Amino acid sequence: MTAPTSAIRTALDWGGLAPLRLRSRLVAEGVYAGGHRSARHGAGVEFGGHREYAPGDDLRWLDRRSLLRHERLLVRQFETETDRALRVVVDATASMGYRGSLAPGAKLAFAAVVAAALARIAIANGDPVGLTFIGGGERVRGVPVSGGREAFERMVATLESAEAGGDATVDERMLDRALGGIARAARRGSIIVVLSDLLDLPEGAADRIAAMSSRGRVVNVVQTLDPDEARLPFEGTVRLRALEGGAVVETDTDATRDKYLASLAALQSAWERTLVARGGRLIRCETSEDPVRVVRAVVEAVR
Amino acid sequence: MSFVTVLGLAVALFVAVPYLAHRLRRRRADERPFAAAHLVPPAPPRARRRSRLEDRSLFALRAAAVVALALLGASPLIRCSRLSLSREGGASVALAIVVDDSMSMRAAFGSGSGTRFERALRGARELVGSAREGDAIAIVLAGAPARVALAATSDLGAARGALDAIGQSDRSTDLDGAIAMARALVAQLPQVDRRVVVLSDLADGKPDAPQLGSDPSAPLWVALPELRGDAADCGILAADRASLRVRVTIACGHGATTAGREVTLRIGDKILARAAAPAGNGGDVTLTLTADAPDGLVARLEGTDAIAQDDEALVVAEAAAPAVAVIADSAEEAAATGGAPIVEQALAALRLDVALRPIPAVPERASDLQGFVGVIADDPPGFTPEQRAALAEFLEQGGEALIALGPRAAAAPLGATLEPVLAHAVGWGEMKAKGARQAGAVAALSDAERSLEELGAHASAKLAPEDASAFTTLLSWDDGTPLVARRAIGRGGAWIVTLPFAVGTSDLTLRPGFLTLLDAWTDEARALAVPLRIDVGQPWTFASGADLAVEGPRGPLAITRDGSLARVAPPLVGAYRVVLAGNAQTRVAAPIAAEMDLRPRAISPSAAHGALGDTHAAVDASWAVALFLLALVFAELVIRVERARRPQAAT
Repeated sequence: MTAPTSAIRTALDWGGLAPLRLRSRLVAEGVYAGGHRSARHGAGVEFGGHREYAPGDDLRWLDRRSLLRHERLLVRQFETETDRALRVVVDATASMGYRGSLAPGAKLAFAAVVAAALARIAIANGDPVGLTFIGGGERVRGVPVSGGREAFERMVATLESAEAGGDATVDERMLDRALGGIARAARRGSIIVVLSDLLDLPEGAADRIAAMSSRGRVVNVVQTLDPDEARLPFEGTVRLRALEGGAVVETDTDATRDKYLASLAALQSAWERTLVARGGRLIRCETSEDPVRVVRAVVEAVR
Repeated sequence: MSFVTVLGLAVALFVAVPYLAHRLRRRRADERPFAAAHLVPPAPPRARRRSRLEDRSLFALRAAAVVALALLGASPLIRCSRLSLSREGGASVALAIVVDDSMSMRAAFGSGSGTRFERALRGARELVGSAREGDAIAIVLAGAPARVALAATSDLGAARGALDAIGQSDRSTDLDGAIAMARALVAQLPQVDRRVVVLSDLADGKPDAPQLGSDPSAPLWVALPELRGDAADCGILAADRASLRVRVTIACGHGATTAGREVTLRIGDKILARAAAPAGNGGDVTLTLTADAPDGLVARLEGTDAIAQDDEALVVAEAAAPAVAVIADSAEEAAATGGAPIVEQALAALRLDVALRPIPAVPERASDLQGFVGVIADDPPGFTPEQRAALAEFLEQGGEALIALGPRAAAAPLGATLEPVLAHAVGWGEMKAKGARQAGAVAALSDAERSLEELGAHASAKLAPEDASAFTTLLSWDDGTPLVARRAIGRGGAWIVTLPFAVGTSDLTLRPGFLTLLDAWTDEARALAVPLRIDVGQPWTFASGADLAVEGPRGPLAITRDGSLARVAPPLVGAYRVVLAGNAQTRVAAPIAAEMDLRPRAISPSAAHGALGDTHAAVDASWAVALFLLALVFAELVIRVERARRPQAAT
């Protein structure tokens, strides 16, 4: 029997990751926040290289010197600096509220720090940011795409009030509600960062998330796991109760640890294959890690 | 039980601690929230199962260890219900154990889990078990006649072996004889401490007899008071068949009745006749059979009582008290005062336990002589061939004859002889002797010599030399010729007197020596007669037992030989197959009425309180408990080592 969504909503355990505002600033300052190149090529101020002429190209950018010297039709390209909206999707289902003994805070808290830091970096670069939750209950609402200092404040306030709740395995439309708006409204070149443990998402979630990478959008998925989930450090016989789906497994962890880790690796590989095939990337992290490394990895991935 | 003992045993309550710990350890595994639970394979918790198995064995070990600790704490004070000897100063003890193997010991003991005899035998084993090096043990059986099962010995192994060889019997009880015998066995032993322990229900049929153990000279301990208890028992003493009638004699112990019970005659499981048992405390009941009723019938007293073995008896041909057939001429041999012939009067005057049956002549069929132990014939005028054959068979079977020879014997008609007693004709003539010789008589007739002087006889019978040499003279005339002589014929014998019993011929029958003569002859006749039914425990005596075999309910019986005599004492009630010189016969050992009275005999207080021993002996079992505890510790170590080795083997 599945517990109702409200019943499994839990208060977010911020732990050592609070306060979010200060923490996210520190993280953002730890990351080199240089401007990112635009995905668009064309008119601009910085030379971006040559390419073979194709019919229909603007003849203004035909490199006459190259034609005269090499008798080849080459077109000069220039990089254009432009804003790239950052769409942060945070998994706030019940499983994200878990905090193990080795973690400084809940997975959702860790994801909130990373999201806020990314938002600060983006806003500092002049890019607009938006926030969307998967699950989290009816009270949790996202932040529309906007830029400026106020956008960061709204985002931090929203993340601070977030609660883990909802069961994505039961409510399959939960994922569609979160991703539908982004898929429709995100402009070309938007950066979509999904912060989730990827453990309780419904079947086909990887394909649906990877599908957002169309129209020049970049999708990066940050799998946020608690150290307990990454290592299964329990000893002896334990009864493991899933936070979503209601599954209960009694097992001898000493005997099944290797199989679990293999299953987890297989899950990650499946996600990675799906994302890479669509130009995306999977970034793995544990909540015990330094968020700076995670944010830097995300920034590196989208640069 | 003292407070310290209770405290020691209370430690055993801690046996629950390992159990509780086991329960706590075996509680459901800790439940943890875990988002990736669906990725964890629901593998069977092998380690948990292994732990459960190990826990179970460890739990048993630890629980046993706690109990052992509790026992160890209380062991100096532990008492177990078993007989043992108490000692003063640790000196060796000379112990005579009287074990009652009589029929009354067949009664159920306690709640019915065993018989009194089994408990007594177990008690004897416990006593022997408590004996030490240097103690002397003697064992006496109290079933009548009292017997020595083991002479005093310090070999405890022999004592145990003797106890193993003792079996239950249906004998009567001879407690006094057994105790006297036991005292005699230990009286001469070097041990200063000499004791007699009686293991009996004390039901010897003499509840009003003097108390046992009242003799202060020899310490007596009547142990196992739980054996003593009254119970109701009835049994069949005899079942005699005469033609189509069967008379069943029933006896009951004190307070027992046969009311509501019935007597049946069976052949196998088939009931041929039945009748209500006589009301009250026993009696006779007669059942009538049909003409085609076979032999081998069994009479059974239906219903249950304390002893089942005496409720069944084999039906045998009617056997009355031993009888003597007397053949005398009442006209000539009657005393002047009239009445019965003088030989009959003499036998009656002796008050012997024999019946007198006057018959006119020697029967012509051997079967007519059955039931007689002897035949007295006064001056018979010879025997016809049929009479001779019957008499010969009677003598061969162990009968005894006393033939007085007179003028009629000497004048036997043609065809009539005195065979098989005398092979030749007898003469009758004057003699010079006055009376019996004053020396040379056999012991049995030595008293008769003096009274048989001057018999006033003018004539006597004259034996042919061949016949004279065949006889052994028991008493002779003063001229050396035989006055009383005997010869053996088959298993029986024949006595002759060379004077008739007629008072007109001599004064023989008027002298006291005549009574001595009749007494000696009757004794021999009774000794040679082997009764068909005998009280259990009493011996059958066979005059010529060279080729004798007896088989009873428990197999072949041992035969005791004394010269030419053979004796067999049946220990159990029931039928016995006796094979003597190739002739098989079924005889019966009957129960004794006194054994059905289960009232115990009184004992003196000194014999009852058990100063010589203890029923609840203190037994120091701490060494055994400590060894057991050590074994438990070792077993736990082994299990733990094995437990540590398993994961390595798994890898």
